[in-house]
Amino acid sequence: MAAFVYETFLLGRRAVLRFLRVPGNWFGTLFFPLIQLLIFSQLFKDIIQLPGFKESSYLAYLAPGQIVFAVFLGVSWAGINMLMDYHNGFLDKLRVTPIHRISILFGEMVPLFFTSAAMAAVILLTSLVLGASLVTGILGGIGILAISGLFAVAWAGTSFVPALITKNEQAAGSLSLVFFPFAFMSTAFVPVERMPGWLQVVNNWNPISYVIEAQRALMSTGFDAALIGKALIAVAILFVVTQTATIWAFRRLTA
Amino acid sequence: MVSTPVIQVTDLVKVYKGGTRAVDGVSFTVGEGEFFGFLGPNGAGKTTTIRIMATLLRPTSGSATVSGIDVLAHPAEVRKQVGFAMQTVAIDPLGTGRENLELIGRLRRVPGPQLRARIDELLVLMKLTESQKKIVGTYSGGMKRRLDLASALLHRPRVLFLDEPTEGLDPQSRLALWEELESVNQSGTTMFLTTHYMEEADRLCDRIAIVDLGKIVVEGTPAELKRTVGNDVVELQLEADGAEELERQRAAVGRMLDGFAPVTEVKASPAGIQLYVSNAAASIAELVRRLDGDSVRIGALTMHQPSLDDVFLRYTGKSIREEQATAHFSGWY
Repeated sequence: MAAFVYETFLLGRRAVLRFLRVPGNWFGTLFFPLIQLLIFSQLFKDIIQLPGFKESSYLAYLAPGQIVFAVFLGVSWAGINMLMDYHNGFLDKLRVTPIHRISILFGEMVPLFFTSAAMAAVILLTSLVLGASLVTGILGGIGILAISGLFAVAWAGTSFVPALITKNEQAAGSLSLVFFPFAFMSTAFVPVERMPGWLQVVNNWNPISYVIEAQRALMSTGFDAALIGKALIAVAILFVVTQTATIWAFRRLTA
Repeated sequence: MVSTPVIQVTDLVKVYKGGTRAVDGVSFTVGEGEFFGFLGPNGAGKTTTIRIMATLLRPTSGSATVSGIDVLAHPAEVRKQVGFAMQTVAIDPLGTGRENLELIGRLRRVPGPQLRARIDELLVLMKLTESQKKIVGTYSGGMKRRLDLASALLHRPRVLFLDEPTEGLDPQSRLALWEELESVNQSGTTMFLTTHYMEEADRLCDRIAIVDLGKIVVEGTPAELKRTVGNDVVELQLEADGAEELERQRAAVGRMLDGFAPVTEVKASPAGIQLYVSNAAASIAELVRRLDGDSVRIGALTMHQPSLDDVFLRYTGKSIREEQATAHFSGWY
């Protein structure tokens, strides 16, 4: 057990350094949500007057969705890093060392919790500077980052599974786009009450919406146990499904 | 020749999905401290064999032991004993040279102070001390190779597997790497190398197995193998205007040497004719006298002793250089 933790730490530290050394990683993750936060909050400012919005401004409504959006973008191609290690032989080099094989996968997954929480923090702080509120204070802020990190690891499976099965960067990159509608159909931009009936049904099954709703509560209304509980259950179910599939795909790749 | 076998491979077979028999019944042993080479063209099954021994691939049948440990039964134990420098240089391009070595050293549980000293020592050996803090992505091909080799040596492995270690290197880097490999071997490490470069196998290996189409064709020391070809090669370049004239001169050479016992075989070469001659040094004067005349105009005459290339030709009926890679296709493209 201790050996496995140590190996995951060593490999995880490498993954964090790799993330930081390529500016495209964090820039690409933050750019889009920041632009949406800045522009949409102004462009659709008046949408807040429609029934269904409970927040004081569209910025306040938009901010939690953009935090989750940043996390979503940050992990949507995460599996490709392991694929690059597979193709350049580094994965084989690790496999020739006498370590627990699963440490290699955990060394990729665990850092995503921290890098994603850091990305979420940037969007959260930016939205506070722009005028959004955080009614639950520091504790709520930490809660937002923790839920973001957990969601990141759970969602990363949607990138790892196609990457490890197809063994092809382009194919894996394209397949990640398949999941993009889930982000746009979520409650990131408009509340579920404003959606047509079929999208409301979709939202009942969209884990991203549950995560956004919990974070919105933490920012605007308070510690809403029901919404936070639902978000944690949604993340837990997603986590079990995607990680089971990822471990299966990883074992298959490194058999 | 073979002392205690460090590597023992018996009837190894690997059939890939789709039916390719990459390794087709290979057996050999490698003794302690020996430098053993697999020489063969691309697609001969060299990489497959080395990957099975390094615990990266499961054979279809047969067995392999390293240090007496079965690679299938106890892969984790085998991993502690071996180092593997792969054909594709496997290093983290976004880490520095030193970080790469530290990561592998720690994963291999080399104790801290010992690891630092070992890394310093290997950086000196591989001439990388100056660039240890640079990101590996900025390294030249030769530097990456040497770093990769250093990372395979961190834990002082008993056996070092080298898959095409000088592939893609310029001649100077290749020569430098050969010297480094020789010094690693001299420090007691048993070496298993695959290559398709004759000169490399000839220079480095104590013993060679020539492999083709998944089988060992012949095995022995480089000197033994070359002796099996026996004859020296005398190459005549003929001065001729046009193909017809060249052909006429070749025929004339054949006639003039007819019945001359030392010449065992005559073969056309692109610019002239190749003669296999036993003990060429002694018979060359008489050979040239026989060719004296107006019908044959000799532009140049060269003699050489048989190379491993000639050995390969003799045993497989083809030149190693003519062989093309047969890549395995995988994934969605």
